[in-house]
Amino acid sequence: MASLVGVFASSHAPLMARDWEAVDAARRDAISKTFSELARRIVEAKPDVLIVVSPDHWVNFFLDNLPSICIGVGETHKGPPEPWLQHLPYASISGHPDFALHLARTALDEGFDPSLSHHLELDHGFVIPLWKMGIDPLPPLVPIIVNAIEPPLPSLRRCLAWGDLIRAAIERYPGNLRVAILATGGVSHSIGEHDMGRIDEAFDHDCFEQFRSADREGLLEFLDRRLDAAGNGAAEMRNWLMAHSAAQGKGFELLGYHPYPEWYVGCGFAAWNLGVR
Amino acid sequence: MTETACDYIMRDYWLSKLFFDLQAPAAADEYRADRDTVLDRYPLKPEVRLAVVGEDVVALARLVNPYLLRFYFVAIGKSEAWFLERIRNTRPAAPNELARG
Repeated sequence: MASLVGVFASSHAPLMARDWEAVDAARRDAISKTFSELARRIVEAKPDVLIVVSPDHWVNFFLDNLPSICIGVGETHKGPPEPWLQHLPYASISGHPDFALHLARTALDEGFDPSLSHHLELDHGFVIPLWKMGIDPLPPLVPIIVNAIEPPLPSLRRCLAWGDLIRAAIERYPGNLRVAILATGGVSHSIGEHDMGRIDEAFDHDCFEQFRSADREGLLEFLDRRLDAAGNGAAEMRNWLMAHSAAQGKGFELLGYHPYPEWYVGCGFAAWNLGVR
Repeated sequence: MTETACDYIMRDYWLSKLFFDLQAPAAADEYRADRDTVLDRYPLKPEVRLAVVGEDVVALARLVNPYLLRFYFVAIGKSEAWFLERIRNTRPAAPNELARG
């Protein structure tokens, strides 16, 4: 069977790419060190496949067809369409269709109904963390898109269930494969709303503490009560929930928190300590 | 903005489609050069078209997804400061308009 060798989370603030210099050198250095630590841990986990869980920011999907969850099952994925990301080395990104289709099959067998795509475009939500970490070569990616953009969104409880499902799919995979998960997005931020630019540091700190210490029901209760007020971008914490439950809620470790108002995002980075080698 | 029986927002489809399409640089270039010709391709309601032409952030914010709203004003070349000044005049969404976990 395959094994889950690492579970991680990273913010993906677009202004890291569009306006890196807006933040002073000391704070840029601080967040770069966090990315380096995240990269070190992912490389150390030696994944054969990296599942990346991110929203789609109106790239692959529109109001015509808006899946709650979509798994990218293609041989390759297309790189980001954003004009300001064309310098990134991700024109094409390798996929892992065998594991992706196994994940999809497992989901369907277990009463989940994901959408599938054989050719996703991976926007900044996927590629900014990969680029800032500088992992080279990238392991094959299995993208999972979670609708955190346009309501109605998948429920928080369902996202936890998805994390359980991903773990089950890994354990049932017949081949010998090392699988890691990277959830992207969050923490608090607001885009295109009346409070755009506001970072809710109190929420972010409380949220990290909940991931560290709360049980599943406690975490759900906290997010149900506080998530909406932390800005529309905080909806991306659904991706962290999937990572958290895949890690069986164990070993949450905050690698860095960089609430940079110039980039509008309370940037958070985490790893779950699985105790595996 | 129309709220449905299940309390979620009904978007203005054609306005959303316009903003979505303008994410493509070539489309945004054409729009900046000849806005009216591009707008003629979208069956916008008259009051919606007026809000677009008038760059009425407050009115448009009620009709489209916030991410698309921001993309649009970036695409037409508005500065971040210009957009922030206006978006901060919009009202906060009522709790029943928000996605609930």
